[in-house]
Amino acid sequence: MRLEGVWLRYQRRAPWVLRETDVRIGPGEVAVVLGRNGVGKSTLLQLAAGVLRPTRGRVVDRPGVVGWVPERFPADQPFTVGAYLTAMGRVAGLSGPEADRAVRHWIDRLGLIRFHGVRLPQLSKGTAQKVGLAQALLRPPGLLVLDEPWEGFDATARELVPEVVGEVLAGGGAVLVSDHRGETVRLPGARHWTVADGTVAEEAPAGDAAVAVVELAIPAAGVAAAVARLRAAGHHVLRVREPAALPSTTRPASVPPADAVPTADAAPTAGSVPPGGPVPPGGPVSSAGPVSSAGPVLGSEGGLERGSGAPADAGNGELGGPTPSSPARGAPAERDLTRPAPEVTR
Amino acid sequence: MIALVRLRLAGFVRTGVALAPVLAGLLALGVLYGGGRAQPAEAYAVSAVVLFPVLAWQTKILLDVEPDVQRRLAQVVLGPARERAAGLLAAAVAGFGTVVVALIFPWLVGGVTGPTGPGDRAVVVGVALGVWVHLLALPGAVGLGALASRAITRSAGYGVAVLAVGVVGALVLGLSGSAVPWLAPPLMPAARALTGHPGPTTGVLLTAWAAAWATAALAGYAWGRRTRP
Repeated sequence: MRLEGVWLRYQRRAPWVLRETDVRIGPGEVAVVLGRNGVGKSTLLQLAAGVLRPTRGRVVDRPGVVGWVPERFPADQPFTVGAYLTAMGRVAGLSGPEADRAVRHWIDRLGLIRFHGVRLPQLSKGTAQKVGLAQALLRPPGLLVLDEPWEGFDATARELVPEVVGEVLAGGGAVLVSDHRGETVRLPGARHWTVADGTVAEEAPAGDAAVAVVELAIPAAGVAAAVARLRAAGHHVLRVREPAALPSTTRPASVPPADAVPTADAAPTAGSVPPGGPVPPGGPVSSAGPVSSAGPVLGSEGGLERGSGAPADAGNGELGGPTPSSPARGAPAERDLTRPAPEVTR
Repeated sequence: MIALVRLRLAGFVRTGVALAPVLAGLLALGVLYGGGRAQPAEAYAVSAVVLFPVLAWQTKILLDVEPDVQRRLAQVVLGPARERAAGLLAAAVAGFGTVVVALIFPWLVGGVTGPTGPGDRAVVVGVALGVWVHLLALPGAVGLGALASRAITRSAGYGVAVLAVGVVGALVLGLSGSAVPWLAPPLMPAARALTGHPGPTTGVLLTAWAAAWATAALAGYAWGRRTRP
């Protein structure tokens, strides 16, 4: 899909929001739209999704099936979650049984089962956002447009976004996502489009200099061997800690199977954890003392094939100091697992 | 597109906002038929004029009940043309329901009577003319309501103003002796025609006039929505 010479303003004689915009995104690609509040990120996304029509220029080769997740899901509607999603599936062209299957799948996948019969206005912001995400995925989209998809999500749900993005990419779709919270560290390999002063510029990919942080849960007995293997493979082990609480198993789509630590499959695998603050080369590997049956959690950096270069942020205190907690159901350790954080340095 | 029509009708009914125009319509019909009995064609002709603002208001409410972002979601899924067509079709279906109520209502309250003299039309003919005159009013009312919808006017105040000006204009410009009767939908001319015995040519002309007016209003709606998702 391409935006060719696109200009947009909302009213005649109003200032231009976007000028002379030329961007393209192909199948299997993900682009992150960055920029300050009010610069036109959502406008760009809505142009791509087909919500807005360019004042000048054109959008060509837009895929036939587009999924758009707006920044705020319109929950003020007199339907239950199940009825709404089924109806949207039918609107998207699915037959009755197909819509039912798709709704069941995504309700289960996004943890909405207990909300199936709940009316939309009664949902919390985060749960309503999940419904918004589900409606965009009922038909596998050729283009998925996510406007601040992490907004209002809890820790577990934030991990789902990169999984969903990975599945869309694997299916040959393209993904556009806006972000102002640094959450796009979860999308390693994404192209970065920066919107500023009405123009869109694509930043060069950070390439090999980028890093990502992965946490692994391994059996306690294998800690020393795993650390040794990781270091031998060139990874930078940041720390070893006690697994206070682990989020659900996640595995970013762009991450190869956890062959770096063969024992990782024996225990739940945590999501990426961006620790904060400078980390000395060959950083400290500390024993966490008594370990639970789930084994200690080991933070490792450099385990991704394609780093994002996006800001990472503070971990749970050992290296990065305390961080503001985000809404989560688990213990502080679980919250920390999902927080974005400042730069990670080698 | 039919699924979106169903979704919008369901939203219209379940929010309860549908009650307001229905009650207004019943009130207007109650006043209309409370004064005595009339021949079906003549009674229905006045009924169509009275219902025109109700149908336009009902259309505006139906199109406005859906949140703006949900309307845009539907546009992304279906494309702009089908999203707009689904909204208008849903309004037409809801309006048709109101028309059916308006056609049945006078028989329930004894507001109409059969032929009483040699020149009176048969009941079947009177009812058929009543259906025709209501269907003449419906597309124009849907067009006016669409032009008054929030998607076009962007504010409740402007929406009410468009609705009021459109209704008053349709009635005033339709009065006999109007300099520019063609600017309004042919409600009043149709009502006047039904008090006599209109021929087929009159019927065709009035139908074409109503169709042209509704087409112009709906084209205006479609044009306005180009930059108002």
